[in-house]
Amino acid sequence: MIEVKNLKKEFQKTIKDPGLSGAIKSLVHKKTETVKAVDGLTMHVDEGEILGFIGPNGAGKSTAIKMLTGILTPTSGTLEINGQIPYKNRKEYVKEIGVVFGQRTQLWWDLPLVETYSVLKEIYCIEEKKFRERMEFLNEVLDLQEFIKSPVRTLSLGQRMRADIAASMLHSPKVLFLDEPTIGLDVVVKDNIRKAISKINKNDKTTIILTTHDLNDIETLCERIVMIDKGKMVYDGSLYHMKETYGKMREVIIALNNPDEIKNIKPDKKFGLNADDYEIEKKANSVSMKFNSAKVEIPDMLNYILASVNVKDITVKDADIEEIIKKIYKSEVNPGEAV
Amino acid sequence: MKQFKSIKRTYGAFVNAGIQDFIAYKASFFGFFIGEIFMCFVMYFIWKAVYASTGRTDFMGFSMIDMMVYVFLTHISGFLIQTDATFSIASEIKDGSIIMRMIKPVNVDLSILFFEFGSKIMIITCVFVPVMVGLEIYRYITLGYVAFKLVRLILFMISISISYLLSFYLNLIFGYLAFYLLNIWGFGVLKEELIKFFSGAVIPIAFFPGVVRKVFSFLPFASLTYTPVMIYMEKYNGMKLIFNLSLQIVWLLVFIGLSRGLWKWAEKRLAVQGG
Ligand SMILES: Nc1ncnc2c1ncn2[C@@H]1O[C@H](COP(=O)(O)OP(=O)(O)OP(=O)(O)O)[C@@H](O)[C@H]1O
Ligand SMILES: [Mg+2]
Repeated sequence: MIEVKNLKKEFQKTIKDPGLSGAIKSLVHKKTETVKAVDGLTMHVDEGEILGFIGPNGAGKSTAIKMLTGILTPTSGTLEINGQIPYKNRKEYVKEIGVVFGQRTQLWWDLPLVETYSVLKEIYCIEEKKFRERMEFLNEVLDLQEFIKSPVRTLSLGQRMRADIAASMLHSPKVLFLDEPTIGLDVVVKDNIRKAISKINKNDKTTIILTTHDLNDIETLCERIVMIDKGKMVYDGSLYHMKETYGKMREVIIALNNPDEIKNIKPDKKFGLNADDYEIEKKANSVSMKFNSAKVEIPDMLNYILASVNVKDITVKDADIEEIIKKIYKSEVNPGEAV
Repeated sequence: MKQFKSIKRTYGAFVNAGIQDFIAYKASFFGFFIGEIFMCFVMYFIWKAVYASTGRTDFMGFSMIDMMVYVFLTHISGFLIQTDATFSIASEIKDGSIIMRMIKPVNVDLSILFFEFGSKIMIITCVFVPVMVGLEIYRYITLGYVAFKLVRLILFMISISISYLLSFYLNLIFGYLAFYLLNIWGFGVLKEELIKFFSGAVIPIAFFPGVVRKVFSFLPFASLTYTPVMIYMEKYNGMKLIFNLSLQIVWLLVFIGLSRGLWKWAEKRLAVQGG
């Protein structure tokens, strides 16, 4: 469905010395610097797959999406989506795709929301009957009814995002690109949007590429993730595999009757753990301890804790994907070697 | 044929949205409308006073009635050819929102153009038609016979449409240059000044030496409103009419070609800002 080979995008950035003299100097002599936003990306996505496309700020995710959607022309490399080359014939190509850029809107700002949908209906030449069916479906999954007659500028962020997602899917695209579709939304709306994305994927077999900084999105939606950093791929595989491989650090949350007792827990003494292998952190009402479960079995650690302090409550958290990703971002682990 | 139908359907939707967008700003529109009517009356009384004070019926070859038609028509034509294309495209390039146009199966220039058509349709029905009816009634009362000619109105509409498209594509070209001069504000001022200069608004064209004057009169800037108005007033006839209309068409084609070429070139080099 999507085939990307050695994709690169470089930007020419003008650099300006600070201050007025710098501004004047830059007028006369422009100094430029090359930024490699996407640096040799190769990937393959199957039809009907939901791919989580993640990476730290500035990793090159949005730039990659812009190339995949035909907005930007790659510096080098090849890409083919749905049998077409995005930047070659943009107008034809975009008929088959849907795009949401979470930070922007494709809705007509001053018009009632329905008007945007009727313009889109004409742009994509959707038949009346098909259009009505589609609207019904989108209305059901995204709950647009209550604000469909309001001018877009009066919508809340969550409403606008739902409306934008509906707009991107009105023409039943084969591929959907969602660049941060849950940015700035509350938990309930996020949850609704995730459900909607999942339903659309099942219903239409839509291939979806999703970028996000909310790893809950990834956990609920994506079987597979591609992680990039500084324009280069650092991980490509299932979420499960990632947890198995890097999710050695487990977290125990302990609520104590007497918080000071935490001093009694000394995993370094008891189990001979290095400073890297554990971390104790006091929180408002509890203590969090992270430790390397490859070095100490979880039951052993729990027994040790229960024996050393007076515990009011204790919980063991699942391998935390956020922790893993934080580590990969900070290059503490190198997934390239492990994969 | 089928293709034509789908094009009509797509851009018809933009016209529709443009009309609604215009109506969404009813309040500012009524202020604008009243202001225009007021301006027309001010101009009427000024020229009436001018003619009364000179005590002549003829002023530089224009009768009082001619002058009225000229002034009103020029004024309205200014509105009809006015366009926000430079600002629209430049600000969209600058803040990156142009990508929202690019992810749709439409031409960037046509989507802006047809959206603006919507507001033009509103201006024609709400300002142009009433003012023209008023003007013709005035002409009829003063002259005692019907001076209005449908053919002239049609020719005027053709000519003013070309003028509008000319001005649109010219503005679009300036807007595209925002790819390179990302801060459009200073650039917008420069554009205004250049057009003023070439249309003789800074220094009257008559003051330039003969050759320069000849060149200027072939440039389209001075004639954007002048040509359609002269056509309506029956000052351009026969070969002169055909020549001036053809000149407009040639320039239009040049500008469309230029703007399309510029866009094609820029599209490949586009570095969308933000996001
Ligand atoms: N138009 C541009 N001109 C110059 N540099 C750019 C441009 N667009 C992006 N960049 C640079 O390319 C790199 C990748 O940017 P991109 O927007 O793709 O990151 P991202 O992964 O989407 O980040 P975020 O998670 O913050 O949205 C950044 O270093 C950015 O500064
Ligand atoms: Mg981004």
